[in-house]
Amino acid sequence: MNKRKSLKDLDQDIRDHLERETEDNIDRGMSPEDARTAALRKFGNVSRVKEDAWRVWNPVWIEQLLQDLRYCARTLRRSPAFTVVVTITLAVAIGMNTAAFSIVNAVLLKPLTYSNPDRWVWVANYNRQFKNELVSGPDFFDWRAQAQSFEGLAGYDYQDSTIAAGDVATQERIGQISNEFWQLSGAQTTAGRLLRGDDEDALLLTAAFFERRFGGDPRVIGSTVTLEGRPVTIIGVLAPGFRFLLPTPQASNDPREIEAYTPLDIHPETEVRGGPTAVIHVVGKLKPGEAVEQARAEIETIQARIAKANPEWSYGDFQLRVESLQEKLVGSSRPALLVLSAAAALVLLIACANVVSLLLARASARRREVAIRAAAGAGKGRVFRQFFAEGMLLAAMGGAAGLLFAYGAMTTILRLSPHAVPRLGEAAVDGRVLAFTAAISIGVAMCFGFSPAISLWKTNLHSTLKDGARTFSASSTSLRFRGLLVAGELALAVILLVSAGLLVKSFRLMNAHPPGFAPERVLVMRVELSGPAYAGRPAQETYMTEVLRRIESVPGVETAGLSNQFMQGVARVEGKPAASRGQPPQMVTFSMASAEYGKAIGMQLIKGRWTTDSEASPVLVINRSFARRIFQTEDPLGKRIRVPGALGAEEPYAAVVGIVDDLKYSKLDAEPQPEVLVPYKQAPFLRAANVTVRVAGDPLAPAPALRKLISEIDKSQPVYDVKTLEEALADSIAPRRFTLYLIGTLATAALLLAMIGVYGVIAYSVAQRTHEIGVRMALGATRPEVIGMVVRQGLGVAVAGIGIGVGAAFALTRMMESLLYQVKATDPQTFAAVAIALALTALIASWGPALKAAVVDPVIALRCD
Amino acid sequence: MLLPRMSTKDNPGRIELLQGTLDLLILRTLLLGPAHGHAICKTIERSSDEVLQVEQGSLYPALHRLIKRGWIIFDEGTSENNRRAKYYRLTAKGRKQLQLETSRWDKLARAIAQILRPT
Repeated sequence: MNKRKSLKDLDQDIRDHLERETEDNIDRGMSPEDARTAALRKFGNVSRVKEDAWRVWNPVWIEQLLQDLRYCARTLRRSPAFTVVVTITLAVAIGMNTAAFSIVNAVLLKPLTYSNPDRWVWVANYNRQFKNELVSGPDFFDWRAQAQSFEGLAGYDYQDSTIAAGDVATQERIGQISNEFWQLSGAQTTAGRLLRGDDEDALLLTAAFFERRFGGDPRVIGSTVTLEGRPVTIIGVLAPGFRFLLPTPQASNDPREIEAYTPLDIHPETEVRGGPTAVIHVVGKLKPGEAVEQARAEIETIQARIAKANPEWSYGDFQLRVESLQEKLVGSSRPALLVLSAAAALVLLIACANVVSLLLARASARRREVAIRAAAGAGKGRVFRQFFAEGMLLAAMGGAAGLLFAYGAMTTILRLSPHAVPRLGEAAVDGRVLAFTAAISIGVAMCFGFSPAISLWKTNLHSTLKDGARTFSASSTSLRFRGLLVAGELALAVILLVSAGLLVKSFRLMNAHPPGFAPERVLVMRVELSGPAYAGRPAQETYMTEVLRRIESVPGVETAGLSNQFMQGVARVEGKPAASRGQPPQMVTFSMASAEYGKAIGMQLIKGRWTTDSEASPVLVINRSFARRIFQTEDPLGKRIRVPGALGAEEPYAAVVGIVDDLKYSKLDAEPQPEVLVPYKQAPFLRAANVTVRVAGDPLAPAPALRKLISEIDKSQPVYDVKTLEEALADSIAPRRFTLYLIGTLATAALLLAMIGVYGVIAYSVAQRTHEIGVRMALGATRPEVIGMVVRQGLGVAVAGIGIGVGAAFALTRMMESLLYQVKATDPQTFAAVAIALALTALIASWGPALKAAVVDPVIALRCD
Repeated sequence: MLLPRMSTKDNPGRIELLQGTLDLLILRTLLLGPAHGHAICKTIERSSDEVLQVEQGSLYPALHRLIKRGWIIFDEGTSENNRRAKYYRLTAKGRKQLQLETSRWDKLARAIAQILRPT
């Protein structure tokens, strides 16, 4: 306060003072001019007085810092190329790190959006045979009735259901959650209320769905819509930003958002062991102070009691899992995100090495400037502070530009693959991200400030001034140091490129399709019948047959088929025991398929024949995995397999008439599973179907016509998920694709930076050695010899760096084993390819300066000092 | 930063102020009542029979220093011929400081006098 008030009128104070003094002098008989001069002389240096007064209030170091910064800004403006290159390099590197951190922050660091996030747990029975985590309804109710460690337990499930409002029916993902959940989670509504107590037939909308489907019109609250043929009342709208968090495998396999919630429609009275029971997932909120271990022990006790009371149920196949919900949700994303952060950090290191290398070159060019400053009285400390100021300025510019870069990168990432990682949608540049960026910028500034300081520490200022000319000996130390930097850079680049290479190879293997598959020419869409009209199988079959009939009439359609996986079950072959001794029974997938489905999707028939749509007796086709696992060396043709839930229990077996090759048509990174294809007219369930259409030309062209044709069969049955098979497959590995793209981008940046680094050092060394090269040429060195000398120098650095990098990568890539698919972390092919590619890069980067060296004119070179 | 101070060497018979004594003199001057900057200079020069020559400019940083320490404050006012001026005056803290500095100065002066003119 005093400070501003005192300094405010200082100029005026001084002017007044001088005037008074002048008047006094005039009174004493001086002429006005003399009076003024005398007053000024007596006053002393005005600007110095002002400075001293300012300094009373402001510590000296701030002033000097500002001075240094102003000076730096001037020098940086004078070398715009340097400034721009450094700023862009840093912006990219810092931006990539900021983006990586904001992802890590959103996914791994930020607590869940539920209230008391650390008290939420995931409770499940892991089925060792099916390798999945499920909870049966009766178990859930027993836990809920008996467990004391929980404030509450909530069961949930979700499926795609038809919502009809007015005359529009759409297929939406609907979550069903125990009503307790809403109280426990602390969710908020923007309109209406949450689900509670014994609400039934009520619907709670997400903010996004409310906007999209109902145009944000609050009058829909209290109105009734039809959900799967059943009337439900809309009771509220959730606050934007609330989302029910699904564990990774669920969320990423099928990345659709849940659009609305209804109560979980199961009841203790009807959930009885031995009857048809619901299969759900369970989350729970611990009481304050309860540990996860206690809760696990308690549920284990309850579960043991249940198993003992129900000896006829195979509870032995289950293993109880209770773990932190946060860990369950994001744990499986951790390896990929850690690899991503590490890769980003490597890029930052490489970028810093490049900039330091440039700064060193600049520092040796500025030795005279430094010497002059020192001679003019600047202490060593002051000179070094100057370098720190420069580092700070560069890092600050890089950091600011990096934030912009990160913002753009995050926007792009969120647009391209918002569901690749759970909670990715929460990623934003928040306070913590800003702090992170500031911290790495400061780190970078430190590193920039130190390096030239170190290189100049031993500089003898006198000899620098005296010599005037460039001194070879001193700069060759810094050149050697820069060589080391570049070698280090290359080593880091090797690690990154090998990682990227391994991911690319995994990706290629995942996408290796048999000939004739052509997913880019196949269109897929889904229909799911809902409502009482389609409760019976005849109506379902009529609908499906009509779908097929209509599709075939559309121009551009080559073949079309229907299919649907309707059950997972144990393979039972007539006349064979369900399981060989000591082996668990084989689980296989049962699918229905129409006659042309195999051709439409691109399956290859190995043996036998396809089924048709009018078979006289029960038949089916099996795939190669089925044949190998169930029949081993036997010939499966003619063998009879039991179809679970088959029509007419009198004939549950169907004969194998054909074998098709395995085909990864739904999930690219999963091994093909044993599968059975039953003709659709013989399939026990026909409620849903994937429509597969092979199209001549652009597959999306007939999509609108197809969609319209099918929905015209019955307007209340929507067609959804229309996309090419290629897209569907790409989506099936979205998390992997996400990692690949990001690591690929980082590796590309690393490669470019390393190339620039090598070029910079070699070019600088050639420039420094112009004199020497001139001498060599004058003494008879030929141009090829000079080129060879320069290139050898570049390659020497490169080979050292690449060697170290290969060794380091060999040790480090093991950490990313879980991200690879059918590729070993030490894949020699990838390592060799990367080493060769980087050596070539170094060769190309040193070739330019070498050519420049070769055209040195000895006469000019010798004279240039 | 290392700009040369304005020299007073061409004024023989006048003594440049010792470092730090200016603060003391300002406090002493203000003990007589509030005054503006120019008046403070004049008072110091006049009461030392023009022997002490204040480099007038250095008064201002000194005033700021004293304000920062809380020894003096100022009010805006108008001077004799209706010109605006800052009137500086002592605070209670400044008064105490003046006593302290004065006794310290007396001690120093006695000690130096004893060495220079032993009795």
